[in-house]
Amino acid sequence: MKLGDQFRFVRQNMKKNKTRVFMTILATAMGCAFLIVLASVGFGLQKSVVKEITEQRIVTQIDVHGKELKDGGFRPITDKDIATFEKIKDVKAVTRRNMLQQDGIYSIGRYQAGTETYVTDFPSEVKAGFELSAGHLPKADNEIVVGYDFPFVLGTKEEVEDLYDNKGHVKKKYRYPENLLGKELSLTVKQLKKGKEEEKKLKLTVVGIGKKPTKDWMQDRSVFISKKVLNEIESFTKTPRGMLLGPNDSPPEKLNVKEDNYDEVKIYAKNMEAVQKIVDQLKDKNYPTYSVVNELKEVNMMFTIAKAGLIFIGTIAILIASIGIYNTMTMAVTERSPDIGIMKAIGANPKTIKQIFLLESSYIGLIGACIGTAVSYGISYAVNFIIPLIIKQAFGKELPAGLTFSDIPLILPIICIVICFAVTLLSGYRPAQRATRVDVLKAMRREV
Amino acid sequence: MITIKNLSHEFVIGKKGRQTIIPVLKNISFTVNEGEIVTIVGRSGSGKSTLLNLISGFIRPKEGEIWMNGVKVSDLNEAKFADFRIHHLGFIFQSFQLIPSMTAFQNVELPLLLKGVSERNRRQQTEEMLERVGLLDYQDHYPGELSGGQQQRVSIARALIVNPPIILADEPTGSLDSETEAELLEFIKDLNRDLGITFLIITHDEKVAEIGNRTIELRDGQVVEGIVLA
Repeated sequence: MKLGDQFRFVRQNMKKNKTRVFMTILATAMGCAFLIVLASVGFGLQKSVVKEITEQRIVTQIDVHGKELKDGGFRPITDKDIATFEKIKDVKAVTRRNMLQQDGIYSIGRYQAGTETYVTDFPSEVKAGFELSAGHLPKADNEIVVGYDFPFVLGTKEEVEDLYDNKGHVKKKYRYPENLLGKELSLTVKQLKKGKEEEKKLKLTVVGIGKKPTKDWMQDRSVFISKKVLNEIESFTKTPRGMLLGPNDSPPEKLNVKEDNYDEVKIYAKNMEAVQKIVDQLKDKNYPTYSVVNELKEVNMMFTIAKAGLIFIGTIAILIASIGIYNTMTMAVTERSPDIGIMKAIGANPKTIKQIFLLESSYIGLIGACIGTAVSYGISYAVNFIIPLIIKQAFGKELPAGLTFSDIPLILPIICIVICFAVTLLSGYRPAQRATRVDVLKAMRREV
Repeated sequence: MITIKNLSHEFVIGKKGRQTIIPVLKNISFTVNEGEIVTIVGRSGSGKSTLLNLISGFIRPKEGEIWMNGVKVSDLNEAKFADFRIHHLGFIFQSFQLIPSMTAFQNVELPLLLKGVSERNRRQQTEEMLERVGLLDYQDHYPGELSGGQQQRVSIARALIVNPPIILADEPTGSLDSETEAELLEFIKDLNRDLGITFLIITHDEKVAEIGNRTIELRDGQVVEGIVLA
């Protein structure tokens, strides 16, 4: 018997007891919808968390904190290490920065701003994607580049209450009104010397302004000075990177600054897929790292366990529905035994009879799974729409925009259909097997 | 065409330890030649139906051999016998054995469906067969909507649809009135004459026994010595 004919035959048989078949399909559909909706919460929350993580960081960025030594200690990254990093496959750029260990106060006229100050290697920054919105990179030692947001935080020195707007920028009326390019800023650094605070002022010219950061939430207020200016600061503060001394501290006898040690080293991969490979190689070479991949790995692991648990609970619902299928199929075999007997008498192969009943149970299962899938998409949509409204009404809190409670990726209905198909096939197997053992003579005498 | 060699069969009844063995057929041997109509007669309990069930493969013999069309069918397993049945045998039953939830057309079509014949050929062959038994106009009727004679004609059409060389009939006129019985017997004779189909008919009806080229009488599970020629 051809598969297509078996299929038509099965549909014909199913029409004979529409109510029972409908109820079985309904139970299966409910089981499937339960599984999908339950697991979709895991998928939805994972999606939201992953989205949050990837939006908060540059996904191709790997922070390298130092090199782990055999005695368990750490040492800073050096030029030699950086040369090693640059040789790793799929590394786009390795940026290295040293940071001034005190807030540099930059002032011009009656305006000032305190911000982070760095010495960086501009060629590698450019390779990593650093661009200027105006001006050029520094050529002389007293030339500096400021971040895109720096001009927005250069505000009046006067004490005013409403200095900042909600973005953290100085309000326009208090802000330095002119273009900073070409202007001379005064950098003030401090140090406690014999219990008395001393200041040093350095004259620096702004020659470039960084480009607006690609992500809305990012702000770049940093100032990039030259290595020579940092050396100058260090010789004033008598501490490495211009570190401030406490009232009881005394400056080291020898400054002992290693020129090729870096405070902040970042590796940029060519793409997100390459990040894990680079991280693995660095790990092998005892470089502790931190990247979005590390964070995602932990989050994904946690959600994978949660999703597996939810799918398992959902599968129980399908197993319960399978009892209905088993019952329906057993009833069908009992009711149709005389017909099975006649079919066997005229030459139906037991294998064909078995196939017909298995096809019927799996058909019920598949229809149920498909209906369940369609319904669960509806429920998922409704949940995402209604829950934020309920939370807002009940708790008066706005949920973060884009928070997904329920998400149904394609894999989820596939998993559900496979589970449902397997379960219905199993539950239909015994009745199908029973059908093949129907005694022809008894069946024809209506004794079964 | 059909050869039965030393066929014996017994039924075991009762639970283990308290079983009773009832011998039904004892060392039966006979041959049915191609194109013959052979009737098997005997009283109730003589073993006629058991013999037909053994030949049909519905029960397996305890001893002896059954050959049909050169195949030792008594050695075939259930699946292989099913294949043999669908290709070589047609059945006519006393109680018609039509599937009540299927129309006359679907009942006749069923063997072709099981054989895997394409839908187009099935439709054509089924319609031809229904026309031949005079029931084309009743093709959409369910068995419950047909008379006994019509149901038996549907049953014959179902048996003939796969062009079997052998038809096994168990009391084919048992549920029919005399007029319909006469019509059916004429039809069987026509089929035998026109298509050369071999018939093995179990009956206790003399009129049916008379259409056979030969009649074999069974008594107490044994062939009565001396074959009666019709």
